[in-house]
Amino acid sequence: MKHSSASDPARGDKWEVQLRKGCLELAILAALWDGELYGLAILRRLEGDSDLIVSEGTVYPLLSRLKALGLVQSEWVESDAGHPRKYYTLTPAGRHRVCEMAGMWTRFSSSMSRLLASVAKGDR
Amino acid sequence: MTMSSDAQQKMEVYLGKLRRRLRDMNDEDAREIIEELRSHITDKATSDGEITAAGLDAALAALGGPEELASQYMTDDLLARAEVSRSPVRVLESLFRWASLSVAGFFILIGAVIGYFFGAVLILVAALKPFHPHTGGLWIFPNASGDFEMSFRIGFGSVPAGGRDVLGWWIVPIGWMAGWGLVMLTTYIAVWFVRQYRRSRVLPRR
Repeated sequence: MKHSSASDPARGDKWEVQLRKGCLELAILAALWDGELYGLAILRRLEGDSDLIVSEGTVYPLLSRLKALGLVQSEWVESDAGHPRKYYTLTPAGRHRVCEMAGMWTRFSSSMSRLLASVAKGDR
Repeated sequence: MTMSSDAQQKMEVYLGKLRRRLRDMNDEDAREIIEELRSHITDKATSDGEITAAGLDAALAALGGPEELASQYMTDDLLARAEVSRSPVRVLESLFRWASLSVAGFFILIGAVIGYFFGAVLILVAALKPFHPHTGGLWIFPNASGDFEMSFRIGFGSVPAGGRDVLGWWIVPIGWMAGWGLVMLTTYIAVWFVRQYRRSRVLPRR
C-alpha cells in the first residue's frame, strides 16, 4: 500500500488553497469597507493588499451570493471607459458582519500564532 | 475604445454560452450577470484604448470556462430558490446540486427522497381508496413464517388470503393528513439544512 507523506507537496498546496478560499469572503467584504468598488477593482485591491491569489471566475459568483444574502448591494454607474460598471457597497448588515468576522479572525490568528511560535523558532 | 469584429464575436460567443447555461435563472438576474461580465472582460482586455486579441484571450481564460462559471452561479441560485419556493421539486433539484458537492448534501438528499416517497405513498393510497374500497388501504397479512406484515396498497390486484384492512375508510383522512404532513415536514427540514449550508458557504458558523 502506498502511504502519502506528511511532506507531500500536493497535499500542502491543497491545504493552502482551501485556507485561502476560506478567507475570500472576508477579504471581499473587507475590500469594500472604505467605499464602493466594481468587480475588477475588488480583484486588484485583493491582489495588491493581500497575498490572496484570486480566480476571477470565483469572485463574481461570490459577489452575487453576498448580494443575495443582503451583505452587499450594487448599482450600475457609467464610467469614463465608455461602458457601465457594476459597483458594490456594503449594506449595514454587511458592515456589521465584516466587523464580527474581523473579530473572529483576529482572535483565531492570535491563538494560532501563540501555538505556532515554537514551530516558527524551530524549537524542539 | 475600439474592438475588432473578431474580438467582439469571440466575447459574444463566450457570453452566449454562459447565458444558455443560466437559462433556468430569473431573466433579470441572468442579464445582469452577463452585463457585469461583459463590462469586466472589456476592462480587462483593453490596452491603450483598444481591445486586443491577446488581452481578450487572457481575460476569458482568467474567468474560466462558461460551464464552470455558470455552475457556480446556478448552485447558489438553486439553493436560494429552494429557500423561498417550498416546492418539493425545487427542493429536490437543489439537493441534487448540493449532493454533487458534498457528502452531507448526499445524506440530506437521501433523507428527503425517503420522506417525499412515504408522503406520496400515503397521499396516493388515500386518494385511491374511494376507487378501490375493498383492496386499497393499509393492510396486514400473515406471511410464510407465521408473522404478520403491513403494507400500503393502492388497490390494484387481489388481496392475499387472510389479509385485513386495518384502517378501513379512516385511511382517507389519515392518509391525506399524514401524507401532506410528511411532505411539509420533509420540505421544512430540507430547507432548514439548505439555509444552513448556504450561509456556511459565506459566513463562519457561530
